[in-house]
Amino acid sequence: MIGLATIAFAVLAGVAVLTAVAALLVRELVHTILWIALFFVDLSAIYFLLEAPFLGVLQLGVYAGAVTVLLLFGIMVTRKRIFSREAATGLGPAPVALALLTFVFVVAAVGELPSGPSALQVYAPSDLSAALFGTYGPWVLILGIIMLTSVSGAIYLVREGRE
Amino acid sequence: MTGLPEAGFVGLSAALVAVGLFGILTRRNFVLLLIAIEIAMNAAILNFVYFAAFAPTPGEGLAGQAAAVVLVGFAATEVAVGLAIVLALNRAKGTINVAEATELRL
Amino acid sequence: MVLGLLIGIGEGFSPGRTTNVQILWLHLPPSAQFPNGFSLVMGTLVDPLSALVLMVVTVVGFLVLLYSIGYMHQDRGLARYYAELSLFLASMSALVVANNLLEFFLFWELVGVCSYFLIGFYYEKPSAASAAKEAFLVTRVGDVMFLLGIFLYFYLYAAAGPAGLGGWAANGFVFVHNGQPFLAGATSSSTLATVAGLMILGGAAGKSAQFPLHVWLPDAMEGPTTVSALIHAATMVAAGVYLLAVTSVFLGFTSFDQLVIVAIGGFTAFFAATMAVVHPDIKRVIAYSTISQLGYMVLAVGAGFTAVGLYHLFTHAFFKALLFLAAGSVIHAVGTQDLFKMGGLRRSMRLTSVAFAVGGLALAGIPPFAGFWSKDDILASVYSQLGAHPLYWPFFLLAFAAVFLTAYYIFRAWFLAFSGSGPRDPSLPHAHEGPWTMQVPLVVLSVLAAGAGMFAFLPGFANLLERGPGIPPHFGTTEILLSGASLALAVGGIALAWALWGNGRVYALPASSPAQAVRRLLLERYYFKAAYDWIGARGVNTVARAADFFDVYVIDGVVHGFEGAFGGLSDRLRRIQSGVVSDYASYLVAGLIGVFALLLLIAPFLLARVGGG
Repeated sequence: MIGLATIAFAVLAGVAVLTAVAALLVRELVHTILWIALFFVDLSAIYFLLEAPFLGVLQLGVYAGAVTVLLLFGIMVTRKRIFSREAATGLGPAPVALALLTFVFVVAAVGELPSGPSALQVYAPSDLSAALFGTYGPWVLILGIIMLTSVSGAIYLVREGRE
Repeated sequence: MTGLPEAGFVGLSAALVAVGLFGILTRRNFVLLLIAIEIAMNAAILNFVYFAAFAPTPGEGLAGQAAAVVLVGFAATEVAVGLAIVLALNRAKGTINVAEATELRL
Repeated sequence: MVLGLLIGIGEGFSPGRTTNVQILWLHLPPSAQFPNGFSLVMGTLVDPLSALVLMVVTVVGFLVLLYSIGYMHQDRGLARYYAELSLFLASMSALVVANNLLEFFLFWELVGVCSYFLIGFYYEKPSAASAAKEAFLVTRVGDVMFLLGIFLYFYLYAAAGPAGLGGWAANGFVFVHNGQPFLAGATSSSTLATVAGLMILGGAAGKSAQFPLHVWLPDAMEGPTTVSALIHAATMVAAGVYLLAVTSVFLGFTSFDQLVIVAIGGFTAFFAATMAVVHPDIKRVIAYSTISQLGYMVLAVGAGFTAVGLYHLFTHAFFKALLFLAAGSVIHAVGTQDLFKMGGLRRSMRLTSVAFAVGGLALAGIPPFAGFWSKDDILASVYSQLGAHPLYWPFFLLAFAAVFLTAYYIFRAWFLAFSGSGPRDPSLPHAHEGPWTMQVPLVVLSVLAAGAGMFAFLPGFANLLERGPGIPPHFGTTEILLSGASLALAVGGIALAWALWGNGRVYALPASSPAQAVRRLLLERYYFKAAYDWIGARGVNTVARAADFFDVYVIDGVVHGFEGAFGGLSDRLRRIQSGVVSDYASYLVAGLIGVFALLLLIAPFLLARVGGG
């Protein structure tokens, strides 16, 4: 019997793949941003489906919000070429074959994993935050350090008066 | 509330990785390259969330979700650095076509 | 220099004191061979032995540096010259005060390489370059033997030493501990110890140009005369003698070793003197004389009279440096080294002629000049040991005979250069003395060459010489007779030189007489160089030819084959380096897929085949 959740997942999965492909293939860069935003929102829905509300919100905020705006910003700053799809290379057989092979092998590899889904676990966001700032505190610290250095690096890269 | 197919999730993330790879390999525009990378990255995050939801113990599930949160942070950082590179490349060469940045060639 | 002198004087007035400072350089944990570990230390050891030589090195070194200012002022590459000379002086001083065998060897090699640099100072000149190479290679033979000797000593004595200290290896192979030789009482007289001693002798012979490794020193005269004075007369070549002295004091030689050392020293003293008799080149005459005098020192050390040998080292350093610097002054003035072109320089270069004469008198052993005291000490010492072994006799006689030859050849050189009415070759420039920087060292060294022999009577200095068997009494009947005999020989030599060459006479041997054949033999250095060349040319060449054939057709064939294959391959692979990031990413993914394929397809297949499941 096919449950409602399954149907919902099938739809969302289809949309995810389609939007991802569309984002890469459409001719206008601005359309790409629209498609990728849709992709992010779609994934967020999948997270809600998996009873991970905190991650769903995070996905919406960070990806659908911040990253999308950043990408849009990047396109606008390089305004000269904004509406052209420069050097959109044709679909060579090799990249497609490589991507397909990866897909096949990843799926094949999963067959090797010991698994057997039990009941869906539900975690309250408060549990997650307790874990994040308790057990996994070092991860967050490391993430903070990496973000700091990355932002410094980014500022260094784009600062005026280089060269 | 069960019935979510394992094969479906794994297949979805595998498909997203494949799409991302395809983009990385074929697109020459740096912004598109970044987007493709984000797609592949999201596939990984999806995996974490999925396996966290079906983890045998709550501890492991929380570990998976925590990893997902950290990964989202990494991905955002990476976009920021990537865009900085886009700007620098644009300023240096007047283009964001990665095929024209061939200084690595011998 | 001041420091060196102070150390010397300080040592002299506090008899027997040794100062030993060291730091641990490296300590290896205990192993099967070295149950107490293995240490390397760097340290300084100042004892009477090293203080004596240190004074020589610093004083002569300073004077030569001073002299160089005048002598070298026209040369290019002065910075290089002073850098190399300073490196040499530093290494030599460190060699002298080294407190363990490994450190000694380290600085031994350093002075060797400095010698190589400085012989080849005029590297544009092919003869200088090849002389440098020759010196390096010949001393290398000795150095390899020295190294083997060190290995043998390590092997023999790694565990020996005073109780409670964990053995020689654990203490960094130091020479002394609490003022006593570290290996006191531990040295053996086994065959292996004899071989080790012979190896050390080989090293010393290489450095001190003793027979049969003597060939490099005359050719080393291609270097600047200052270098000849400092390195190839006073200090570095004496390092070989110093090595023998150190070894005999701290490690001990077996009696067979001593016999061989005496044999080589005595033979070399005579052998080198004969070659000096006929040579026309002023510097080479002095070079042969150096070899001969080093032979005396080796003889004394071999007979067990370390202090006497070093005493001669001390006096010899001064008068030989003086002779070289005086010769350098002459060369500087007339621009040639050929004795037969010079003549009459006494008038224009009075100071130099006197200095050379003082050096010559000291070398010949005329009292009261320095050489007399030390050389007669050697002869008397060896004479007193003649009972030890019947084979000492012939070598003692050879050394005795060399006294005559020494006096003859050095005054032949003096008469040829300085006496007579004027130069034989009229094309020579008008000679004149060098600047004051060249004259001062000559004066100082003249005083030292004249007086250094009597230092032995100073109370402090005598203390320096106390190590090892002391100086035999000067005033026994036998010794006086011996001294008288050698003095007579020396005076005879000078008289013969005067008779043949005095007042600008040139004595020509009758053509086609047997004497001509002898002269030719001596000029060709007993054909030793020719023989070595022949060995090099024929023996080595044959091997080299075979190796070359193998190299060209087998090794190169393989190499070229590989090269061709990889060249073609890389030519194709080069195109991969497009510089386009996407392409690189493709290779990355292809590799990833390869890994997947390996894990998922090939590995299970293989496992199934081997039945591992």
